[in-house]
Amino acid sequence: MPSYKLYYFHGRGRAEPARLMLAAAGLPYEDIRLEYEQWPEYKPKMPMGQAPVLEVDGTMICQSVAIARFVAKESGRAGKTNIEQAWADMMADGFVDMLNKMADYVWYEEDEARKAEKKKTFFDTTLPEFLGYFEKLLVANNGGGGFFVGDGLTHAEAFFLCLSDDIIAEKPNVLSPYPKLAALVERIKTYPGIKEWLAKRPQTPF
Amino acid sequence: MPAYKLTYLNARGGAELIRLLFAADEIPYEDVRVDRDKWLELKPKTPMGQVPILEVDGHVICQSMTVVRFIAREAGLLGKTLLDQARADMLLEGGIDVGKLFEEMVMEKDASKKVEKKKEFGEKTLPPFLALYEGFAGDNGYFVGDSLTYFDIAFFNMMDFITAEFPSALDGYCNLTKVIRNVKSVPGIAKWLKERPVTDH
Repeated sequence: MPSYKLYYFHGRGRAEPARLMLAAAGLPYEDIRLEYEQWPEYKPKMPMGQAPVLEVDGTMICQSVAIARFVAKESGRAGKTNIEQAWADMMADGFVDMLNKMADYVWYEEDEARKAEKKKTFFDTTLPEFLGYFEKLLVANNGGGGFFVGDGLTHAEAFFLCLSDDIIAEKPNVLSPYPKLAALVERIKTYPGIKEWLAKRPQTPF
Repeated sequence: MPAYKLTYLNARGGAELIRLLFAADEIPYEDVRVDRDKWLELKPKTPMGQVPILEVDGHVICQSMTVVRFIAREAGLLGKTLLDQARADMLLEGGIDVGKLFEEMVMEKDASKKVEKKKEFGEKTLPPFLALYEGFAGDNGYFVGDSLTYFDIAFFNMMDFITAEFPSALDGYCNLTKVIRNVKSVPGIAKWLKERPVTDH
């Protein structure tokens, strides 16, 4: 059994998809949460000077999507065939696009008026169009009563849960027009391993 | 052999890396290029309202990096072990931000803003990125292990776009220059580079 160490800050942020996949896999890992004052000491040790980083028996992997995909593959939750892996990847990438659009106005926009405008565009236009496509994609997988790809949880679900956590926090009924997606959120939350993690994970603002 | 159909606009853009991967392993595919009107008609029929899309055996895949990875696996260019694959992934993801800034600069319509963005990119963004990636590339001219992976080809594609604006960008970077040479000497890729349609982007 390799030793896993996940380095990030005190938050869900870009590390949470990896934490969810580690939880689903029941893989023990060191969940290292750095204080901002510690970061200057750790930054030069990281492959691209960023976190999250997953250290696997001393080898460091950075980039949140690469990490989540690696954990998914290690634990057989990345899709069973090449096509299924592509579908899981494609959906994860789509959710990351949305998470990046949110990060854009939450973290990177300093002008208050532009921030409010970007947020409005996101919730009024960008997100609904996107969720519409995803409801259809979910339904296309055997009616949408299971998971996004094949018959099991993949990293697509991990990224979806992180996105839905953030959008529901802003707009609690944001998923009501998408009943299959809403039902999937509940299924992910009760998935063995993830359920226990959600109950014990630190509650953080981001 | 599955039938592959790639649909994109008439441009290199977000599809060119996919085309390079098909070329690298000499995998035949239909290279469909649609104009803007046809694209608007096609859009609602795609999984996420975006191109490129890949159709294979009746299945549709979108998200360019996903298609890249899918074809890389078919072509045996994904990386030999899971850790190798994760390394290639991480290097690819790490280049995305720089790629986006480059694209923003190229697409900038205001002439004086463009000059500013080009200066910023050339002086502040590109050098640290290349210095970092020079360290990631081996002196054998491969980013992952001792053989070609899709990330070598991705790096070539990215520099193909960048050196059009900054011709001497790779001067002094020995390992990166070797990567470019290794990629260009893959027979299928050399052939594609000679024959591909010439487009603005």
